[in-house]
Amino acid sequence: MNVIETIGLTKEYPNCVANDHISIQVPQSEITAIVGENGAGKTTLMNMFYGMERPTSGVLKIEGREVRFNSPLDAIDCGLGMVHQHFKLVPSLTVFENIMLGTETRKAVKIGKRQVPTPFIDKKQEKEKIAELIRQYNLSLSPDDIVGSISIGAKQQVEILKMLYRNVNILIFDEPTAVLTPQEIEPFLQNLKNMKQQGKTIILITHKLQEVMEVSDQVIVIKRGKIIGSMPTAETSPAQLADMMVGRKVLLRVDKKYEDLSQKPVAYEVKNLSVTESSGKVLLDDVSFQIREGEVLGIAGVEGNGQSELVNVLTGMMRCTGGSVSLYDRDLTNYWPRELRKAGVAMIPEDRYIQGLCREMKVSENLIAGYHGNPEFCSHGFLRGKAVRENLRQQVEKYDIRIGGESSYVSELSGGNAQKIIIAREFSSDPKLLIASQPTRGVDVGSIEFIHKKILELSGQNKAVLIVSSELSEVMSLSDRILVMFKGKIIGEVPGKNADSGEIGLLMAGIAAAG
Amino acid sequence: MEKKKLKHYLRETLSTLLPILAALVVGGFVILAIGENPITTYGVLLQKSLFTYSGLMKTLHYAGPLILTGLAIAVAFKANIYNMAVEGAAVLGGFSAAVVGFSLHGVSAPVHIFLCLLTGILAGVLYTAIPAFLKAYLNVDEMVVTLMLNYALVIVLQYFTEGGALKDPKAGYVSTYSVSPDAMFQKLFNSDLTPFFFISIIIFIFFWFVFKKSKLGYEITAMGNNPAFSEASGMNVRRKIILIMLISGALSGLAGGGFMLSEKYRYTLDFSGDPGLGWEGMLIALVGRKDPVGILIASIFFAALNTGSDYVDMFTNVPKNIVGVLQGIIILFVSFRAADAKFGISAKLRDKFGKSPKDAPAEGKAA
Repeated sequence: MNVIETIGLTKEYPNCVANDHISIQVPQSEITAIVGENGAGKTTLMNMFYGMERPTSGVLKIEGREVRFNSPLDAIDCGLGMVHQHFKLVPSLTVFENIMLGTETRKAVKIGKRQVPTPFIDKKQEKEKIAELIRQYNLSLSPDDIVGSISIGAKQQVEILKMLYRNVNILIFDEPTAVLTPQEIEPFLQNLKNMKQQGKTIILITHKLQEVMEVSDQVIVIKRGKIIGSMPTAETSPAQLADMMVGRKVLLRVDKKYEDLSQKPVAYEVKNLSVTESSGKVLLDDVSFQIREGEVLGIAGVEGNGQSELVNVLTGMMRCTGGSVSLYDRDLTNYWPRELRKAGVAMIPEDRYIQGLCREMKVSENLIAGYHGNPEFCSHGFLRGKAVRENLRQQVEKYDIRIGGESSYVSELSGGNAQKIIIAREFSSDPKLLIASQPTRGVDVGSIEFIHKKILELSGQNKAVLIVSSELSEVMSLSDRILVMFKGKIIGEVPGKNADSGEIGLLMAGIAAAG
Repeated sequence: MEKKKLKHYLRETLSTLLPILAALVVGGFVILAIGENPITTYGVLLQKSLFTYSGLMKTLHYAGPLILTGLAIAVAFKANIYNMAVEGAAVLGGFSAAVVGFSLHGVSAPVHIFLCLLTGILAGVLYTAIPAFLKAYLNVDEMVVTLMLNYALVIVLQYFTEGGALKDPKAGYVSTYSVSPDAMFQKLFNSDLTPFFFISIIIFIFFWFVFKKSKLGYEITAMGNNPAFSEASGMNVRRKIILIMLISGALSGLAGGGFMLSEKYRYTLDFSGDPGLGWEGMLIALVGRKDPVGILIASIFFAALNTGSDYVDMFTNVPKNIVGVLQGIIILFVSFRAADAKFGISAKLRDKFGKSPKDAPAEGKAA
């Protein structure tokens, strides 16, 4: 029987359709995994399930009944609970107090034959109830521990218990393993299986394919707000899933000339780069590579495997805890963005509206960001309006940026045109190295082609280029060599010429090629 | 294109004026309840403060320090730094200017005035440096520190004024000695206006350029709108926080010093008035949408309210406190506007009551 069923569930925002006619079925007492990249629409879908967002159209049925949730409370009343990626716990309270918060058991006084509740909390009984639940689901928790002092994995168990105590039948997990250390993941997956055996239905949102393969019964793949596949886990493979998640039919091929670069000097070198969080979580694990002059190095991988962290470290937004970075003979380890720019590193950040651009400022102002202190744009602390406007005119012409007028704001532009602002700004500084992260995400086809052409032009001028992208086809069509990242490590290397997406897909799924 | 620009300005102006108009309407009901005619009351208020020679000069005279505190608030708020120390810095600036004003002798008048103002500025800078460094290096919330520091400062200054060596024993109330006459600004044109107003205007023009044309203005806008972006484009955010706070402190100190030398001539416990130079500056910056021209207009408007309130008292049965009522209502409307910009309340209300987002005015998209 299907516990959850959706028919044509759609959520539209003013500028985009986050969920486009989603129709899925979630069977009772099974684990259903929903996979997809960041921004694919998984979270929006779950928020609709959990009453945090209301669908624009479509029907949501829980246990056969059509429901309309106004808030998460309605969802919990219907037996649906969610464990968020970021925990909502009170650190100074104990485990059982956190679980009982809001539904405290009160002491009762017997007057005659009636039980009259008092305002006092019956801690003993609460503790017993929680201990019983812990036993039933075989968790490793003690009700008396202070939440602030227990591990992240244990905190997650508290969150789960919170839901179980409220008698939910369906549990939604939003990226549950993203915050866990590798040692904590295995017991967590075991817990999921236990809960399933006890009759709970579980929905797992993730982009870690190994976990999907290990625990789920059914997989649903979402891409750009649409369901692009739904199948029993037994009938699929990690490589196929990776392909479905990130691969798309190559829309266009740029004419990439492959040359023998082995004689060219090494321009950029990253040696044993590591990032370990203070909690002990390893984000980057001993990453090393070299880029020669005129070479395009691509980094592929399912998102969330350390690519963002790598780019953040290389662009000065995050500090590494080990290893070194150098451009020619200059050491750039842990340099600030401004120092990197001075040294000749151009950067296209992963999220253009967060790090790359300021929507509330003019296009002309965005075109000089990071270079606004250079003498050509600035004298004695005042900006040279004429030079800034002249720069706008030149770049708009050269990079075909379509703007409304000279005082247009970035917020008025489409994604493709906004990205071209960044390209124009970074390329015109005559860099020695370009680090491009998701250079064409959310960009229209015409602009993709243009941006790809510009990147290849740059490498044709003997510059080193690093491309990090979750679009496999992008990496494949631009790179001379492709490195695949998995769990913070470089798991394999594939030549760019005639690269085989099947081979890369296997690597992306964490299966190292034999030989 | 030009038409679009014009429309944009019209909308900006309207949205600046709306809280004020709304406050006047609500205040009108209050006046009605007192049993007076709101139109005549407002007529007296505006006519006496803006359309008579002496009234207008008095209004401009009061506007001087308000322009400076308005700018002091705007420069910080624009960068998303909530510096509430403007009030304290203005008070301390005034106090320090007074101390130099009565203790220094034997220098020429211009030099004396210059030294008084300089001390005021330095006092404002030093005072604001405390929260600035706490925020930049220890990530201490500047709003809490600056807010509380103001209260501590008032007590410290009260100690000096009431008991310390600075108390003027001849004064009939708690006060410091009077600033020596040669350190006071001269009245001009047979009115209340002093050269300090023109100093404020020069600083205003300078800051208009800073906001609109300078590298610093560019960075302030970037920091305020998108901190991640400003960091990624290589700004040293920590250093900028300190710089911006200190500029804010300097402007506030100058405002206090100038107010002392052009109006007060001695430090009393009610030096800053009600609600206070800094708080009024905050209101002005918010009404003027942190834009220099908006701040100039708002300063004059609030100064006019102050000037006019005396005349309202004289010519009608409405108590002068009506101005405080109006200011309070303006704060309410302005905070709604600010909250709306941050949380999109009106958009959410539109969303809730039937209108689908598609009907809402679409953002202009260029190809």
